[in-house]
Amino acid sequence: MADATETSRKRSQVEDVNRSLYDFKMSEEGYERYADGLSTDIVRAISEKKDEPEWMLELRLKALAAYEEMEMPANWGPSIEMLDLNHISAYVSPKTKQANSWDDVPEDIKNTFERLGIPEAERESLAGVGAQYDSEIVYHNMREEVADQGVIYTTIEDALHDPELEPIVHEYFGTLIPMRDHKFAALHYAVWSGGSFVYVPEGVTLPYPLQSYFRLNAQGAGQFEHTLIIVEPGADLHFIEGCSAPKYYEANLHAGAVELFVKDHAKLRYSTIENWSKNMFNLNTKRATVGADSIMEWVSGSFGSHVSYLYPTTFLQGARSSCEFTGITFAGATQDLDTGCKVILNGPDTTASVDTKSISKDGGINTFRSSIVVGRRADRARATVSCASLMLDDISRSDTIPAMDVRNGSASVGHEATIGRISDDTILYLMSRGCSEGEARTMVVNGFADPVSKELPMEYAIEMNNLIKLEMEGAIG
Amino acid sequence: MANTIITADQTDTTALGHINVPPAQTWNYLRINDIAFDVPTPHFVGDVYARLPQLFDKVECGIGEDAVTWMAHAAGDARYVEVRAGEPHDPIVIDVDAAGCDVSDTGVLVRSGAQATIVACSHGGAAGATSASLLRVIAEREAQVTIIELVACNEDQQHLDAVGIEAAEDAHIEMRQYALGGGKVALGLCCNLAGNASRFSLDSRYLASGTDVLDVNHVIRQRGRNTRADIVTTGILADSARKTMRETIDLIHGAKFAEGSEIETVLVTGDDVVNKTLPVILCDEEDVAGNHGASIGAISPEQLGFLGSRGLGEEEAERLFARALFDDAVIHAVDDDVRQAVLARAAAVLGADVARDIAEVLGYDIREA
Repeated sequence: MADATETSRKRSQVEDVNRSLYDFKMSEEGYERYADGLSTDIVRAISEKKDEPEWMLELRLKALAAYEEMEMPANWGPSIEMLDLNHISAYVSPKTKQANSWDDVPEDIKNTFERLGIPEAERESLAGVGAQYDSEIVYHNMREEVADQGVIYTTIEDALHDPELEPIVHEYFGTLIPMRDHKFAALHYAVWSGGSFVYVPEGVTLPYPLQSYFRLNAQGAGQFEHTLIIVEPGADLHFIEGCSAPKYYEANLHAGAVELFVKDHAKLRYSTIENWSKNMFNLNTKRATVGADSIMEWVSGSFGSHVSYLYPTTFLQGARSSCEFTGITFAGATQDLDTGCKVILNGPDTTASVDTKSISKDGGINTFRSSIVVGRRADRARATVSCASLMLDDISRSDTIPAMDVRNGSASVGHEATIGRISDDTILYLMSRGCSEGEARTMVVNGFADPVSKELPMEYAIEMNNLIKLEMEGAIG
Repeated sequence: MANTIITADQTDTTALGHINVPPAQTWNYLRINDIAFDVPTPHFVGDVYARLPQLFDKVECGIGEDAVTWMAHAAGDARYVEVRAGEPHDPIVIDVDAAGCDVSDTGVLVRSGAQATIVACSHGGAAGATSASLLRVIAEREAQVTIIELVACNEDQQHLDAVGIEAAEDAHIEMRQYALGGGKVALGLCCNLAGNASRFSLDSRYLASGTDVLDVNHVIRQRGRNTRADIVTTGILADSARKTMRETIDLIHGAKFAEGSEIETVLVTGDDVVNKTLPVILCDEEDVAGNHGASIGAISPEQLGFLGSRGLGEEEAERLFARALFDDAVIHAVDDDVRQAVLARAAAVLGADVARDIAEVLGYDIREA
């Protein structure tokens, strides 16, 4: 415990944190790497390697055809012209098998996750961990007492090989995010690899969160993990997703998919700290459907990537279901992050609350984009959206584009947005109390981000604050 | 160039897409990024009398270039008004008879230090008819301009209404916009606050009922330093009406110390309405402030309780809100013909008795139809 405290202390102090925490590379020597680009052969090879059921191969091939046929809309946000799929390998895998003990994980990969603090977090505060390295899960484990409750936490690949789980995967996989949802959803289904399958039985509450961590080490590669979570009636789960990558001077791509099924009277909190490197195109799709009297909570911190399209979507299908979305996005130099969320209120008496913050500096571009749709059956539905943006210099940009579509006369929808800067008075006040200008600005930004960090477990809140401090370094002068 | 007309019974039409496209767009499946109209193709009937000076070509109208081109073409004739400082002037009235398929194209140049009041009123309607009003205003340094835009068309009328404004240094623009009816109406507005310390305030009010389709695009470009934009929108949606409201405050790089705010309040009184709102703030400058607030819903139970304690039922309260909108439009109508158009629309929506009462209470005569 003392060690953990010491590590936390180190990670909470800006002078102890340097970019090497995330920005380190391991050799790809001996790795299996498929040719760059996309083809039927590559899709078949991935499927064959995973020894999948026939229906999955068919789905992959249909998705590939859809990907080739579909166009990106001409009027969409940040440009992804620099992303050339002909120079991206869809599958890169270290020569190792999935382990359930860190001792069985190859030394360099184990070191990677140790530097990221994953084994330590597992020991201290998690009910289970999945660690993906490039295209494959290299470590997966869950506490025995959690498994004894009937909780299933495994990879999608393993679930597909389990005669009891395969029908469940077949029933749910790809139903919430249709493959033709958008071009990169189709790409995902064609080449998906890795990710997690979580099943929480009826009435089970997990005492600790489960966490999946995604590390993309390979240069010029894509990561396409699929996360499928089913929370049965009356169950309660907190799932944490982390991701990072070293920086290269060519594009990497992340096009994962997350499908969340929250049944009646259930609760799911899905927390993400995303810290991809700044050569990453993060085109991720996340979607949840929520049953009656259930709660879906999203906590989202977006710090990395060169370009992001990220809009977690929630369908409030059941009566009295609710969604809370709390998010922060930090865009620095070379970053163009288009983030936000979508909530569709279909059930009566449903409620949605969206609270987001964005910070732009050093020429970074932030776009907050949301949609609140209130359907005809959503009697007495209520939704509020609040987005606040902070501009830290005059070369950055911040846009808010919230859309509302209300089709029920008894619904109530509110929205507020503000864009501004840190006032000189605030900085002067803090400097008069002995802070340097840099400290004062960091303090204000941390305070601005506080509503998000307080929603995270302590160690992740510290990580988020550290990321802010890292981003704020050099912000002055 | 030839003079042109359109008529209600003509069968050849032109598809106008990309009307009211906001500067920043969102998901296409929401169908909020634009609206399309089928409009009559203008017929050639003779030589053109006039066109606006070229300086009006650069004035952006929120309705979009295709619609502006069509309106300028369909109008055939154009009206140019120049207002000089120190010269007395009557309000400039633009009267568009919707039933007659009128299309007007008006350019107003308000010289430095001059004051102008412009009233654009489109009214009436006939089955299958299309009408339009295109108004472009250039306000030079320290000019003060008041614009009142009224659309009081019938439920079977299709109407396009565009306003473009260029504001130079210290120019002040005050605008009131009333959308009181029309089967399918597009209102596009763009105000370019190009000069330092220029100001724009907009009070926009609407009532959409029956199966009305109301599509609005407000774009405020804040380029100059110390510019101010205040948009307040209030509206009532009843029956099966559909409304799309896009509001964009664009704080452009260099607009230091600019402030923009937009507030929308929507009262929903129908069970089958579609209410879409896209309030956008674009910010490319640090020393600025942009705010937006929106509130969409029915009269709250607390408010209904309060009104009930004063003897007002829900339906009565909703009618009262609608009447207040017409009261306000009549008060700001400026010109008697415009006032009569508003009262005629009030009679159509609220009943002849209510229209007469509005006129009587406010001290105006009402012309019998």
